[in-house]
Amino acid sequence: MSILYILIPLGLLMLGAAVWAFFWAVGSGQFDDLDTPAMRIVMDDDEKPPPSSES
Amino acid sequence: MTDSVCFHCGLPIDPRHRYEIKIDGQPQAVCCPGCKAVAELIRDSGMSNYYAMREAPEPGTGRPADDAADWRAFDRDDMLEAFGAIDGDGAEASIYVGGMYCAACSWLIESTLTKQAGVESADVDPVTHRVRVRWRRAATGLGRILSTLTGLGYEPQPLAPQAGTRPEVAEQRKALKRLLVASLGMMQAMMFAVGLYAGDFEGMAPDMQLFLRLVSFVVTTPVVFYSARPFFAAAWRGLLRRRPGMDLPVAIAVGSAYVASTYSMLTGGEAVWFDSVTMFVFFLTLGRFLEMRARHRSIDKSAALSGVLPNTVTRIDDGADAVIPASRLVPGDRVRVRPGEAIPADGTLLAGRTSVDEALLTGESRPQPRSGGDALVAGSVNLDGIIEMRVDRTGPDTALGTIRRLAERARYARPDFVQLADRIAGWLVVVLLGIAAVVGAWWSVADPGHAFVVTLSVLVVTCPCALALATPAAFSAAATRLAELHLLVTNGNAIEVLARATRVVFDKTGTLTVGAPSIVATSVLDTTRSAADYEHIAAALEAASTHPIAAAFVGRDAGVRASGHRIAVGEGVAATVDGVRWRLGRHGFVAPEDPGDDDPSRIYLGTGGRLCAAFDLADSLRADAADAVRRLRELVPAVSLASGDGEAAVSRVAASLGIEDYRSRCTPAEKLEAIRAAQQAGDTVVMVGDGINDAPVLAGADASVALSDGALLAQTNADLIMLGSSLTPLVTAFGAARRTMRIVRQNLAWAIVYNVVAIPLAAAGYVPPWAAAIGMSASSLIVVMNALRLSRYGG
Repeated sequence: MSILYILIPLGLLMLGAAVWAFFWAVGSGQFDDLDTPAMRIVMDDDEKPPPSSES
Repeated sequence: MTDSVCFHCGLPIDPRHRYEIKIDGQPQAVCCPGCKAVAELIRDSGMSNYYAMREAPEPGTGRPADDAADWRAFDRDDMLEAFGAIDGDGAEASIYVGGMYCAACSWLIESTLTKQAGVESADVDPVTHRVRVRWRRAATGLGRILSTLTGLGYEPQPLAPQAGTRPEVAEQRKALKRLLVASLGMMQAMMFAVGLYAGDFEGMAPDMQLFLRLVSFVVTTPVVFYSARPFFAAAWRGLLRRRPGMDLPVAIAVGSAYVASTYSMLTGGEAVWFDSVTMFVFFLTLGRFLEMRARHRSIDKSAALSGVLPNTVTRIDDGADAVIPASRLVPGDRVRVRPGEAIPADGTLLAGRTSVDEALLTGESRPQPRSGGDALVAGSVNLDGIIEMRVDRTGPDTALGTIRRLAERARYARPDFVQLADRIAGWLVVVLLGIAAVVGAWWSVADPGHAFVVTLSVLVVTCPCALALATPAAFSAAATRLAELHLLVTNGNAIEVLARATRVVFDKTGTLTVGAPSIVATSVLDTTRSAADYEHIAAALEAASTHPIAAAFVGRDAGVRASGHRIAVGEGVAATVDGVRWRLGRHGFVAPEDPGDDDPSRIYLGTGGRLCAAFDLADSLRADAADAVRRLRELVPAVSLASGDGEAAVSRVAASLGIEDYRSRCTPAEKLEAIRAAQQAGDTVVMVGDGINDAPVLAGADASVALSDGALLAQTNADLIMLGSSLTPLVTAFGAARRTMRIVRQNLAWAIVYNVVAIPLAAAGYVPPWAAAIGMSASSLIVVMNALRLSRYGG
């Protein structure tokens, strides 16, 4: 069972890495909008960009 | 490359105006001098690779605008304060680049800008179409950078720097991090707890047990000190103010379980409770997170709050255009608004015709036509014409500003009902802490070994979180739902009043009716022509008139055209149709020798002093008024009508809607008196008006609803604002208010029943701490989720 003494600390290190990655993702704004991504799948993505103002 | 489309912008080339440019030795055709200039600029700065790298452009992209903006004003330092940051000798600004469509664009922008003298760095974010530029102030300026971008054929918009992140965003980010730490910590702690429990039954080496307890301690510590920190902070603040809230028992439970577990780990004691601690914190954090989301959503929905007004506007100064920051606009300024731009302030259209999208303010998604003299509302979008407008109101004085102000008010004022729940929860905490103390004392005498576990369970299980969340969660969910239906709750008390209202008083003009006349009946007096013919002629006569009555005839001319209009103010209008001179107006105007009745709601059409047709005009009812009133009467016992109009008009409207209790020719003071009388008779009165003429009456009612569109909103102060032109949302509001109060009662009942059942069980020692944590958390989550059902009310 002494393998646990290696594996558990290793797991904790990976946990720490996961927390760090999530904190980074939150900090860079990836989780600021939790509502529209769920909706985006039903939107048409072939809409034209707004016309330039030469009209 | 074919010769029929422009090499630079992709628009078809008119063969009569063909321009040519050599790129990499190859002649290429372009459509206009502007594209030629841009292409030459790109070639001469050694960027011809752009054309090889780019994706096929949307035709017209990158073509320079004919009326390119003058950015010179942006070289001044005072502009930098509004749009960038000065940093010693250098400066920095963010610019939105319109017309950027592929990776080659960002390459072109970055390379061109960094080659410019004085520019230190330019970082393009192709996803958000933003470029962040740093430059040395001595060598160049923001204006020159913007001109460079314009010269490349893009449409730059300098962005006002954000004053930090928005508070809601910052709060949500923090809450998410806390939630994640708590959830990961909980999963890990439970996993190790399984090992520890198995060890209790199967036996396990003491050093392995200590190791598992130690790692549990390691994963629990961040949960207690990071995720649970808001609970400790709030409990401490409550103690300082001598008003203990529901956070106090939470803090005591979490803190003491953590300390006791750590002590037990160090001394090799019987048990540790790290799993219960993390689970308790996780569920509490989850409940808080859901409640926070409901609250934020109501802020977002209560009118797209920011980012709808432009940062810069084109001001017309003595014929010359200057681009200035929108914050510098003052009433009286003349502003040019191009298609696709948002109207920067409330104002009046001076020149040009266009249609505007006012969906943000009225919920009306169809484009609204606007021409000279019409009112324009800040935040609406100019759709298709270049217009000039005069600024009348700016910033907080605009309709949009009013909505924001009222939404802020609703956000920060806690409704009376919620305050009451808070106070009760505060008292309850003291009582529950007392119970825990008594239980602890009794057990430490009867069975000292279990005293701590039992007291901990009692503390956890009785936490009145559910009780404290019951009311606010329901109120914010209801406000969110109503905002989605274009009903803004600006005073939280209104929901509770709406739920127990016994009388609804309507104003007539502009509320039940649309506020503009329409033809209700056409009587033919000379049968040589049909009623439809007369209507066409009348419409052609009124085409040139701006009198409100003319609105009734709009769109009815069926192609009939009149000429030689002559308007007699206060009398009528005369014009020639197919060689016949017609008169439309009062009886005495059409037939001068026969001054008949003088009913203002009837106008006549005639020729040569002879009456041919009569039109009965009335302010038409809103399309859904009858339906809305009928459904409202199922919810509210009494519906009445109070109007300043004449008896005939009011009684007709009342009869067609089935309202028996109506008053006509009311002054605002009389309306107010009627409401007071009803209140003294025991009624809870909700007044529905247009929000402006009725302001004092609205203030006198228990709750007030203003039905208003666009520009008029700026002056209202009602508890509930209905945007748009439909009455149906009002019925929904009454229904939703009742549903809200029902859910509040369900939540309170659940919280009380749960505590009454759980406390004796826990005090008797039947509930281990982990079960207490699950029970209490489940109770809170049930309450929050029950409240969130409101967000789907009314389909």
